[in-house]
Amino acid sequence: MADDGRRRPRVAVVVGSGGMKCAAAVGMWKVLEREGIPVDLAIGCSGGSIYTAAMAMGMDVHLAEQYTHRMWGGLFKRVRYGSLLRSLLPRKLGMFHARLGLVDDRAVGKVMQELYGDTRFEDCRIPLRLAATDLHTGEPVELKSGRIADGVRASIAIPMILPPWPVGGRLLVDGGMSDPLPVSIAIREGADIILAMGFETPPNAQLDSMFGVALQCLSTTVNHMLRSTYAFYSAAHHAELVPLMPDFGQPIRMTDTHLIPHIIQRGEEAMEAELPYVRRLLEADLQRSPA
Amino acid sequence: MNIHIEPRGDIAVIAINGSIDGLTAEELLKTLQAHVQQGHDRLVVDLEGVAYTSSAGLRALLATVKETRRRGGDLRLARIQPNVRKVLELSGFVTILKVFAEVDEAVESYGA
Amino acid sequence: MGSNTQRKKRVAVVIGAGAVKCAAALGLWKVLRREGIDIDMLVGCSGGSIYASVMALGDDPDTCERLTRELWTPKITLRRNWRSILGAILPQVFPFQGHVGMVHDGPLLDALHKPFGGRTFEQASIPLHIVATDMHDGEKVVVNQGSVLDAVRASIAIPYVWAPWKIGDRMLLDGSLSDPLPVDVAIREGADVILAMGFESPYPRRIKSATRFAFQVNSVYTNTLLRANYSFHNLAHHAEIIPVLPDFGGEIRLFDTDKFPHVIEQGMRATEAQLDYIKRVLEADDG
Repeated sequence: MADDGRRRPRVAVVVGSGGMKCAAAVGMWKVLEREGIPVDLAIGCSGGSIYTAAMAMGMDVHLAEQYTHRMWGGLFKRVRYGSLLRSLLPRKLGMFHARLGLVDDRAVGKVMQELYGDTRFEDCRIPLRLAATDLHTGEPVELKSGRIADGVRASIAIPMILPPWPVGGRLLVDGGMSDPLPVSIAIREGADIILAMGFETPPNAQLDSMFGVALQCLSTTVNHMLRSTYAFYSAAHHAELVPLMPDFGQPIRMTDTHLIPHIIQRGEEAMEAELPYVRRLLEADLQRSPA
Repeated sequence: MNIHIEPRGDIAVIAINGSIDGLTAEELLKTLQAHVQQGHDRLVVDLEGVAYTSSAGLRALLATVKETRRRGGDLRLARIQPNVRKVLELSGFVTILKVFAEVDEAVESYGA
Repeated sequence: MGSNTQRKKRVAVVIGAGAVKCAAALGLWKVLRREGIDIDMLVGCSGGSIYASVMALGDDPDTCERLTRELWTPKITLRRNWRSILGAILPQVFPFQGHVGMVHDGPLLDALHKPFGGRTFEQASIPLHIVATDMHDGEKVVVNQGSVLDAVRASIAIPYVWAPWKIGDRMLLDGSLSDPLPVDVAIREGADVILAMGFESPYPRRIKSATRFAFQVNSVYTNTLLRANYSFHNLAHHAEIIPVLPDFGGEIRLFDTDKFPHVIEQGMRATEAQLDYIKRVLEADDG
């Protein structure tokens, strides 16, 4: 498409992994809708896939907000300790299979059905891409066809929390393990303006248990991954990568569902802060943009 | 290193023979940029003849990728050799570029 | 060579995490020595810190091979650290020490003593930098002064295996948590040409136990981090980064020291593959 004239810049929204913090995407979404900013591509990873899928389907943002409360409140209530225990015991006491996790998979299945029904990627108003990871090869896997519920379920299959999910003959897990903020997909698809909402995990001050130490080691690695991939994407992208990294002011745990309104508010604020620049980018003539 | 350009409709297939490294980067960049500047912004780079790449070479390739995208086009890769693929995976290039097994596939991926 | 005004390019060798596979660096070194190519700086992370250190401290490749082969025996992981394990499982009864190390590090320290006991960074004939991770804030820490043994012990402190190691007032852990192949350290120290020898964590063929699953998950994260860091530095800096990636043909497990000759051979081969370009870059004009 060798246009001589101006072409409207293509806008992509990427929401990365971050557990319940991803609800901030609802705040971002509210602002985008209110300001009439067109979104040409929606990309989600892990917790972020829940929201970008809803957005791409054309779900009403206020409905999404309601679902947020129900979902996070209900999802982690029933934790399967028996499953966790069995996984830690020697093999002869219980068959290991990769498909176990802390959270009740059937409850998650019900929520997926409620949110997405049988809607397929192809039915979406805004093209949707979800990021998962192939458990056996560690490679990132881009999902763009089939049932959205399957795509989201695969993308949020965080090890030990939810069992891996089979899609197209591969066993898929959390997209965050291979690309926590998959701006790569937006770059590959030629998006010009990329709004990237990502979440770092602050270092855990309380190293008071083995579990705390484990989480700390993991979040150290993931934070580094996030920073490096982001820096790489910034250097590799031809146009503008706009970071939306809300500052929550306090650590947010899976069980802090009362903080959801606060999380959404911070998401709105992060988007508002970038709004003037995004508007200018939309109006700019891309072909004359500097390197 | 030598570069052979073959038009296929409004897609340009660029076959590179030799290595894409710090010593060949400048020539590569000049040739590719000139072609893009003439209005050919949809490229397929055929890497069957490339046995080696390094960081400096990849930076030159990326500069061209960005230029094509700025113009609304793209640069896609085809026929990557296994050891070059290893380097492209390590340096993240396979995540930000579309990669195909065959040149025809890459050309067709541009659609209409 | 170039004109009189052209300064010699500084060559760095960066050896990433990879346990026994890091011995491939000795193969790299053999080739460089044979070709008369000097190494101006060494950077090591985790298992790589062992090799970077023996190379920097000036012994020849065969001595280094012997010293490091003697290090990697099952003895270093044999003794359990019961106090630590109990503190982790029953923190109400046994005090949790703020960290976990299932394996007693006595044998490891004994093993490290032979090549590194009493040696300091200042004694190294090639500038040496070792990478670890701060346990509390997760940041990468570069150790390049004081006791080499302390630095190596910190860099290989794999979480849950060995306890973290204190240097100064920081508690340090395995460097690969923050940077499995720290090329940026070489860049910051002014290297022009960087030979980066990195090893991706292996993926077990079949995942049939919880430990294998955990291992797989850990490998995926480490490999992703390796690539993420490498990709960025590859693009962002002016230095020429030449990846030297040996192909071992199969899994090399933690104590496969009988595979040493094979590992070193593959290190040589991988270096030979890049040799032509390395020589041309070193000779080329800076323009």
